[in-house]
Amino acid sequence: MDKTLENYLERVENYLRPMAVSERIDIVREIKSEMLELQNDGKTPQEILARLGDAREMARGYIGDLISSDAVFTWNRFLAGCAFYGVVGFSGMIIVPTLAIIAPVFIAMGILTPVLSMIKMLDYIFSLGIPYMQNIGIVFEGILELNPITEFLVALPISALLFLGGRGAWKLLLYYCQSVGRTKRKLSI
Amino acid sequence: MSIDDWRSQIKRGTLEFCILLMISQKPRYGYEIINELEGWSILAAKESTVYPLLRRLMKDEFLTSFWKETTEGLPPRKYYSITETGRQYLAAMSEEWDNLLAAIAGIKGETEYGQDIGKLS
Repeated sequence: MDKTLENYLERVENYLRPMAVSERIDIVREIKSEMLELQNDGKTPQEILARLGDAREMARGYIGDLISSDAVFTWNRFLAGCAFYGVVGFSGMIIVPTLAIIAPVFIAMGILTPVLSMIKMLDYIFSLGIPYMQNIGIVFEGILELNPITEFLVALPISALLFLGGRGAWKLLLYYCQSVGRTKRKLSI
Repeated sequence: MSIDDWRSQIKRGTLEFCILLMISQKPRYGYEIINELEGWSILAAKESTVYPLLRRLMKDEFLTSFWKETTEGLPPRKYYSITETGRQYLAAMSEEWDNLLAAIAGIKGETEYGQDIGKLS
């Protein structure tokens, strides 16, 4: 093969240094294959080189991909990142654990409260003598004493509120996490 | 903006589609693709555009490649063939392309209609 063509391939390979060796070899082999093909069609080395264009330009086609696939650092992006993580980190420190505790606990209480007050009511009505029943109930020590049936009726709206509150906290938590994700994607940091 | 800038923008946007279309018909090698593209001046692309593009399509797993020996003392050629993912991608591109053509046809129709109205008044 012509010396100038060999030289061209060497230069391309040199410019491709940032790439893996196996890729580099494959790229150069493919270009060489076309060179020989052109030569076979009766093209002179000068014509072939003119057709392929500048070696650096050729390499840039490959390496440009490599560069653009990495994020580019700019001050604006850096500042946007600082602001984003500052706000998210600080708000998340309070919002995420609070909601994460409130949501399951409130939901569990919303389910447990009516069940337990019903057990207490049944215990009272049928005198079943289930232990620890005195520990269950709506207690305003010394101010208000309710009998278990009234207690059960009062417990129903309260547990509904607890359940809704827990579900609301859960949705809020999801919404918070999703909007953080969306913002991050939009900023692409 | 000159018409050449616009042409090169169109080329940049459609070259990928055209190359995938060509390879979806049968496995092809780079030189063959470039030669065929040369037949249409709006698509004509240099080696430094086509080879990196082929490599990117391979990275995205739309294409695979294999080296194949040739007869008559020519060097082995690197053939590209389309993958199943590539076919799906191409089908999606085709659909968008049709949408684009329909949109342009629609807008052209409206414009001509608008001009007619203009002439009448």
